[in-house]
Amino acid sequence: MSTTSSRQSTPEDTPGRGPRGSSPTGPGKNPGDVELPALGPVGMARWAWAQLTKMNTALFLLLLLAVAAVPGSTFPQRIQDTGAVADYIDANPTLGPWLDRLQFFDVFSSVWFSAIYILLFVSLVGCVLPRAGKHWRAWRAQPPRTPKRLERLPEHRRLVLGGPADAPAPDEVVAQAARLLGKRGYRVAVRDTGGPAPSVAAERGMWKEVGNVVFHLALLGVLVSVAVGSLFGFKGQKILVEGDSFANSLINYDAFIPGTNYDPDQLEPFSLTLENFEVEFYRDTAVPSQYGTPVDFTAEVTVQQPGGQPRQETLKVNAPVNVDGVKSFLIGNGYAPLIRVTDGNGDVAFEGPVVGIPSDGVYTSSLVLKVPDAAPDQLGFTGLLLPTAVTGADGLPRSADPGLANPKLILSSYSGDLGLDSGVPQNVYALDVEGLTELNGMLTPDGPITLDAAGPVYELPQGKGSIEFLDVKRYVGLDIVYDPGRTGAFVSFVLAFTGLLMSMFIARRRLWVRASKGVDKDGAPTTILEYGLLARGEDPRLAAEAQRLGELFTQQWGTAPPPADAAAHPKTSRAHSGPAHT
Amino acid sequence: MPVPSNSSLPTHPSRRRVLSLAGAGVLGVVMAGCGAEEDPLAQQANTGDEKGYIAGDGTVSEYAPDQRGEPVQFSGTLFDGTELSAEDLRGKPALLNFWYAACPPCRVEAPDLAELAQQFEGQIAFYGVNLRDDQATAEAFERTFGIPYPSFEDKDGKVVMALNAYVPPRAVPTTLVLDAQGRVAARILGIADRSILETLLEDTVAETA
Repeated sequence: MSTTSSRQSTPEDTPGRGPRGSSPTGPGKNPGDVELPALGPVGMARWAWAQLTKMNTALFLLLLLAVAAVPGSTFPQRIQDTGAVADYIDANPTLGPWLDRLQFFDVFSSVWFSAIYILLFVSLVGCVLPRAGKHWRAWRAQPPRTPKRLERLPEHRRLVLGGPADAPAPDEVVAQAARLLGKRGYRVAVRDTGGPAPSVAAERGMWKEVGNVVFHLALLGVLVSVAVGSLFGFKGQKILVEGDSFANSLINYDAFIPGTNYDPDQLEPFSLTLENFEVEFYRDTAVPSQYGTPVDFTAEVTVQQPGGQPRQETLKVNAPVNVDGVKSFLIGNGYAPLIRVTDGNGDVAFEGPVVGIPSDGVYTSSLVLKVPDAAPDQLGFTGLLLPTAVTGADGLPRSADPGLANPKLILSSYSGDLGLDSGVPQNVYALDVEGLTELNGMLTPDGPITLDAAGPVYELPQGKGSIEFLDVKRYVGLDIVYDPGRTGAFVSFVLAFTGLLMSMFIARRRLWVRASKGVDKDGAPTTILEYGLLARGEDPRLAAEAQRLGELFTQQWGTAPPPADAAAHPKTSRAHSGPAHT
Repeated sequence: MPVPSNSSLPTHPSRRRVLSLAGAGVLGVVMAGCGAEEDPLAQQANTGDEKGYIAGDGTVSEYAPDQRGEPVQFSGTLFDGTELSAEDLRGKPALLNFWYAACPPCRVEAPDLAELAQQFEGQIAFYGVNLRDDQATAEAFERTFGIPYPSFEDKDGKVVMALNAYVPPRAVPTTLVLDAQGRVAARILGIADRSILETLLEDTVAETA
């Protein structure tokens, strides 16, 4: 990016703005003043473009992006947990709505965050494309011409080749040097052959800049891929009890977060049946602290696509089931007791699994069951499932283990209007007991309902009906995710990393070798080989390369003792920046 | 420090103005792209109410006879065990209502559906498609609202998946009206407004006659 950084000067740099302007002739009269050209819209645009594509700007935008992402970790985000955002807004009635208006709960899709990364995007494109073009031209061009004074280069050596009798011809030396350099990965151009001082211009490390450009383009690729994912992807949730199926249709989701441009009529058609779900718990008593912690989760599922044969797949944590790019991740699990509720009229008003939300390591699960079709009164139940119920020291029941050794339900019951008939959506995991009559609870005469294998049925008071605990099934919580940008993001990331390594570890060097005829101190003819190296950018190994080349050349031709003047300055100071190469 | 040249002065404000205009333009484009009216689906995703189903907003799509797709194909099992396919429904219009017992909007429209089923008896075949319930729960719902028509037991999603290829049911509840040839004539996402549904059904009956 640095190539564009110094292209434009700011208006303040223009001569005439300095203290000289305060001459007695007064403002505007100073003959030394250079009038600023009035920039038209085109000039203005060019200036803005130049500012935007500066490396400073890109770095600043990158920094700004990092700063702008901070609220994403300090405030709850809708993409992660919509419930947490709702809770936050409820808890902060003044600040919450304002934060919401300013999109602090949707940081990564907010206008301001998008503005920063789009600008960064444009800045990168505006910087990288011209740079790639420049490199393309440099690649096709010959290595630069040989400077007149090689001793001004950061690394410079001078060798006197051969003895008086067998001094090689300069043209031959240059041709041979070109071959040697070619083998070392330099691209070479032989110049001035037939003249008194033929030379080889060589250059290597062209891939460094390629790596650099690839790195920047791949960063763009990451941005584009992420954008594609958030535009055309979706994420949905579904709880699936053992034996149940899920057809990938919007109507079957528990919750669904569409991408900005997602068309919900285009869901990949497939169905997924949870045949069996196993949780393996740690059962080695030698490590009591680990005893009973879950070790492995395995779901056996059947996937069916239209027109295809059903196929068995295994779903594990971090090993999603993939159906044409739609991935179903295993993100949660728990117990769902099978319950039958008979109403006051003696009819079965509910029968089925009730999803319990585990609240601790021993799967103590909270349950809410609403039975809106119980007659004459609707019934509601809240309470706990204890997978392995024991009585604690305090006389209260609790779960001792996550396994299903002694499943027990402890429930409160209510009757009255559940509010479902009004059509207002309700949280399925909460029972609003306001307006309901408590039938069973901690404080009622009959106490809470307890159901287990020994006593699976309970008659509700006041002839309201009965409840029966039939069985316990397991369920899984699935995240069903479609992210069309995922592959692109991965490829881009790999490319970016490769490009970064290339640009970091490939040294870009220029090298010139010149051979000429000379005489030694005894007046005998010799051939003098002189070479200089120039690094582009930091290159701590430049001196080592110069040394190695010296060894190669010596090995090729042998050397006479170096002439006195060469010994005086075996290599020139590094302070020189070399000839005007940029 | 005195200003060196008056003539250079006017260029600065204009430069700034152009810049701010350009900035506003860029921001405008960004906002147009990202800040557009959120669709109802994204909106309900953002409420985080854990209601556990995808709601519809009552959107009605009606398809003129020449704009309807292919006749639908599906098969499923009613709660009483009867196997039924789309072929069996051909010859007169049909209504498919997708529901489950604990879904609040399903409970709101149920009385209307029950009445309309009586009203159009013999003219239109009504069927429910139950998405989540076991038989006893579904029957309790039918008892509560006096639903006279049978429902498909579709916990395995067979009917839903088959219909996805035509006009997909996208919310709970969804109501599809099929014409005599079995093509989707109308779709209501969310609570079916009684008078709208009645008109749709009358139109479908009229075109068959």
